[in-house]
Amino acid sequence: MENKANNNACAPGPLTGAAEMLEPLLKLENISREFPMNDGTTFVALKDLSLCIQNIKDKPQIVSLLGPSGSGKTTALRIIAGLDQPTAGQVLISNGGGDDMRRVRVGDVGVVFQRYPLFEDLTVLNNLVEPAVRAGMKKDEAKEKALRYLDEFNLVRQGMAWPVQLSGGQRQRVAILQQLMQDRHFIILDEPFSGLDPVNITNVINIINRIANEHTLNTFIIITHDVTSALTISDHVYLLGRERDAGGQPIPGSRVMKEYDLIAEGIAYHPDIEDLPRFAEIRKEIKLVEFPKL
Amino acid sequence: MENISAKPAAVLPANEAGYPFREMVRVYGSLGAFARSHIVIVWVILIALVWYFNPIRALPFPGEVLAAFRRMLGADGAQGMVYNVYVTLKLNIVGMLIASVISLVVAYLSVIPLFQPFNKIIQWLRYIPIVGFNLVFLTLFTIGWPMKVAMLTTGMSFFLVTSMTGVIDSIPRLKYELAKVLGYNDWHVFWSVVVRPTLPAMIDMVAQNAAMGWVMITAIETYNRTEGGIGSQIYAWSSTNNLPEVYAYLIVIGVIAVLEDWIFVLIKRVLFPYSLIAERA
Repeated sequence: MENKANNNACAPGPLTGAAEMLEPLLKLENISREFPMNDGTTFVALKDLSLCIQNIKDKPQIVSLLGPSGSGKTTALRIIAGLDQPTAGQVLISNGGGDDMRRVRVGDVGVVFQRYPLFEDLTVLNNLVEPAVRAGMKKDEAKEKALRYLDEFNLVRQGMAWPVQLSGGQRQRVAILQQLMQDRHFIILDEPFSGLDPVNITNVINIINRIANEHTLNTFIIITHDVTSALTISDHVYLLGRERDAGGQPIPGSRVMKEYDLIAEGIAYHPDIEDLPRFAEIRKEIKLVEFPKL
Repeated sequence: MENISAKPAAVLPANEAGYPFREMVRVYGSLGAFARSHIVIVWVILIALVWYFNPIRALPFPGEVLAAFRRMLGADGAQGMVYNVYVTLKLNIVGMLIASVISLVVAYLSVIPLFQPFNKIIQWLRYIPIVGFNLVFLTLFTIGWPMKVAMLTTGMSFFLVTSMTGVIDSIPRLKYELAKVLGYNDWHVFWSVVVRPTLPAMIDMVAQNAAMGWVMITAIETYNRTEGGIGSQIYAWSSTNNLPEVYAYLIVIGVIAVLEDWIFVLIKRVLFPYSLIAERA
């Protein structure tokens, strides 16, 4: 376990006991975001938020941004996705290989929003086909790929249904598949476990794991406040929150307070991760020690 | 037990006898076909009774209105009901079509900042009575059909633009963001988020404003009486205190309005089936 607060650089090489870390894929460098308030003051949502997601050799990547409500997770999501601009700092994304990086643009990173918006006027199948065609895929190819995905995720029967006819779980899967159709390597999921019962949380974890494992180029960034799910699914967990001053008062602006490298901890990718004693220790530490401080 | 099981299936149990009528007064209740038809019957009877026994002597009796119908349906040419309904219906359809096209263009362009001030000006103009522009219309158009179409189109557009822009304003930001993260360019966002999904709601707006159109038509035809029409007829019959004829035309307007509503629903059902499913969901 390694405290990464204030760290703004990628780890220089393989961490002790970790999988082999390759080139950086996404970097957040000293991101700050401030919002003007009605009373003339400024609300600091993020302050010097830095993190680095590196390619892991032959492994899928699932990274979680974990934090309590109000810790700036959604603000960070919007900035990573290019939907919002930081007040200071920059988000860099891999520019095709090696260490070559450029500023992130909207469309570089896929987002599965919390309420799973879809194009309500298109059938489920066309919700997958149209964005892929717009991105340059041939229509026949897009349709074939969409049908394959629908089959894999037990949605073939819903192919010709309208989004309004889907259940919440089906909608979530379609929203994830819609992003997967784009062949982008980064997909952010905003609170994918929110409002789900334990059985469905397991289903969602299995789906994300399955997609991540199908293609090692896929990197998922999960925005969540669900400690157990984040630890179950991720190889790295970044704890977002605010520092406290000497009087115990929170200092405005969230940042990465701690990074948990679950590969180095030896628990990532473990089939029965929740049964491991170290998993329980880390979960307890986050819930009882770290969260109350954030 | 034997007696109960021997009852025909169609007969409701005693405690369920009033069930269809209880359905009618339930808050947010769903109605079966039986209750639905009973509601219509209840209201037809209620309206007939109020009409027949109404204490306002200005309201003609149903029999008088029926007689007026017979007289006007039998009359030829400009005095006949068929001719006048045709004139107004033609004006209504042409005006509504032109106003819908113009308003759609102005409303959809409101997503482009450059056109937003123009859209706002059009919306503000709805507060000004259309007859206030009489002189402008007289200068630009010849009196009669062209002027009536222009007045109706303009008047309806002021309201349609307002309603349609409201539809566009209510598109959630999340929909734009979904399209953006999917890599859509501006044109794709415009088509896939702004235009295509809002078309069913735009039909609703046209349907709602069709009623406004009928109010305007009667006023416009009062000012342009040369070609006849329901408005000019209502004005003429009112000024001679022939109320049965006036009410006969009002009933015609009501029937046409119901038919128009039905046609709009039909268009939505055929062109945008998902919108009706969404409304019922």
